[in-house]
Amino acid sequence: MRQLPGAPRRGRAAASLALPMIAYFALFLAYPTAHAVRLAFTDPFSGAFPSAENFRLLRADPLFWRALANNAILPALSVALEVILGLALALFLSLRFPGRRFLRTAVIVPFALPEIVFLTAMRYVFAPRGYANGALVLLGLPPVEWLLPGRVATLATVVAADAWRVTPVVFLLFLAALASIPEEIGEAAVLDGATGWRRLVHITLPLLRPALRAALLLRGVDALRIFATPLVVAGAEGAPVLSTYAYHQWSDYGNEGMAAAAATALALLSAVCAAPLLRREVRR
Amino acid sequence: MKRGPILLAAGLVVVAADLLPLALVAKQAFTPEAESFAWPPTWIPATLTADNFRALRSAAELEYGFFLSGTVALCSALGTLSLALPAAWVSARHPRLDRPLDALMVVARAFPSIALAVPLAALFVRAGLYNHPAGLGLWFAHTLLGLPFAFLVLRTGFASVPRELEEAALLDGATPLGAFWRVSLPLARSSVAAAAVLVFLVSWDEFAYALLLQVTNRPLPPLLYYLAAFGHPGMASAMAVVMLVPALAIIALLEPALRAGVLAGSGR
Repeated sequence: MRQLPGAPRRGRAAASLALPMIAYFALFLAYPTAHAVRLAFTDPFSGAFPSAENFRLLRADPLFWRALANNAILPALSVALEVILGLALALFLSLRFPGRRFLRTAVIVPFALPEIVFLTAMRYVFAPRGYANGALVLLGLPPVEWLLPGRVATLATVVAADAWRVTPVVFLLFLAALASIPEEIGEAAVLDGATGWRRLVHITLPLLRPALRAALLLRGVDALRIFATPLVVAGAEGAPVLSTYAYHQWSDYGNEGMAAAAATALALLSAVCAAPLLRREVRR
Repeated sequence: MKRGPILLAAGLVVVAADLLPLALVAKQAFTPEAESFAWPPTWIPATLTADNFRALRSAAELEYGFFLSGTVALCSALGTLSLALPAAWVSARHPRLDRPLDALMVVARAFPSIALAVPLAALFVRAGLYNHPAGLGLWFAHTLLGLPFAFLVLRTGFASVPRELEEAALLDGATPLGAFWRVSLPLARSSVAAAAVLVFLVSWDEFAYALLLQVTNRPLPPLLYYLAAFGHPGMASAMAVVMLVPALAIIALLEPALRAGVLAGSGR
């Protein structure tokens, strides 16, 4: 580019245009995070700092351990399910047939709606006298307890509800990736005699690997902070995760310190898992 | 072989099953509350009524919830744009700033809401912003939430404006600000509109911060949560329908822009 007179100085002045936004992040992201760490290491009884009392209390709370375990299990299962469903949907809706444009828009709806609206619907589906059990009875099957606290079935229900809502994101990623595969590749494969299943396994899926990585990273980091789904569908103690645990401690017990300690643990977990995303972004 | 109609039929079945829960909520909204409690549940409304909507309208909290959600969403969109516009423009014009700002966006996007909401609530209690009647604290939180989305959409928009146009304006004697205001901003206006709508929707739909920061002065999402939690299936469903209508309208109108928003930051 041709340099205009005074360009370097303008460059520095221009950089200052980003400062308000950076200052905002410092004030409302960095400072509260530091405050959370301070609260987490402050003794809730004596106010002494630093103290590990909050973490000792967490360690003694069985609900915290369930929340920690669930915070690994729920995201892993949910992301796995989303990838399978999202890939299947994308492969299906990238076939050419009349009406596929309408279907592509229609399948995004659960994600595009307000989260709380969809989760309220899930609540009525999986309630003890809800529609899922209603359907089972219609089929002559016994009703299921979908949401008893601490059961494996409860985890599965929350995973299903979460995947139901978020699969469209993964679907869109895969759909975009499929659309970017040149048609010649498929045609060449057909000429070479690869059709159907073989073409999918040996040609399409390997080409989708970047999209898969993107989906795993993005959705993995998102799924770690899962909050509304377990809270709305299963309640604070049904399938607790770190987010709902911190919320529960803060709002139901007023335990600022323990809430902050759980929040700090969650932030740390997210930071560790987001690191690959960050590295990828910076390398790009 | 005619596979088109078969595929379409299969697709319609999948979509119908996918959207069935929402249809059932709509059914509950238009049937008497007693029917929503019935066992076995009804699938097709036995009686139709608008009672739930009437009950909802007479609940004073709802009007306030609308006011609060609308105000916070509007203010968040404005706040986010005023911070993200200059930053996104600089980032699009100075590639060296690109990477650190990108990294910041990744961190902001990945940060768990609750991990931030807890210390924010503690700080807001002291600052008098906790449970603020006009949702001031929530406005700050939602602005933070909207920034990465707005920044990425806007930067893509500014990057598509040829910089030669700005340079021409500068040579014609415009100030840098004038060149931005009269040349780049109008040319990127569809991105600006998309960013504003996206942030508005993010705020309008947001649940976690709203639940933590506004305990009794509740915007719509926590209001719906409590209605459902306290066993009012009729009213809760009516409210879900009320929240759904504007969202569906916006989706229908702006589906391409939203798609871009969802994909923004996915590494494209």
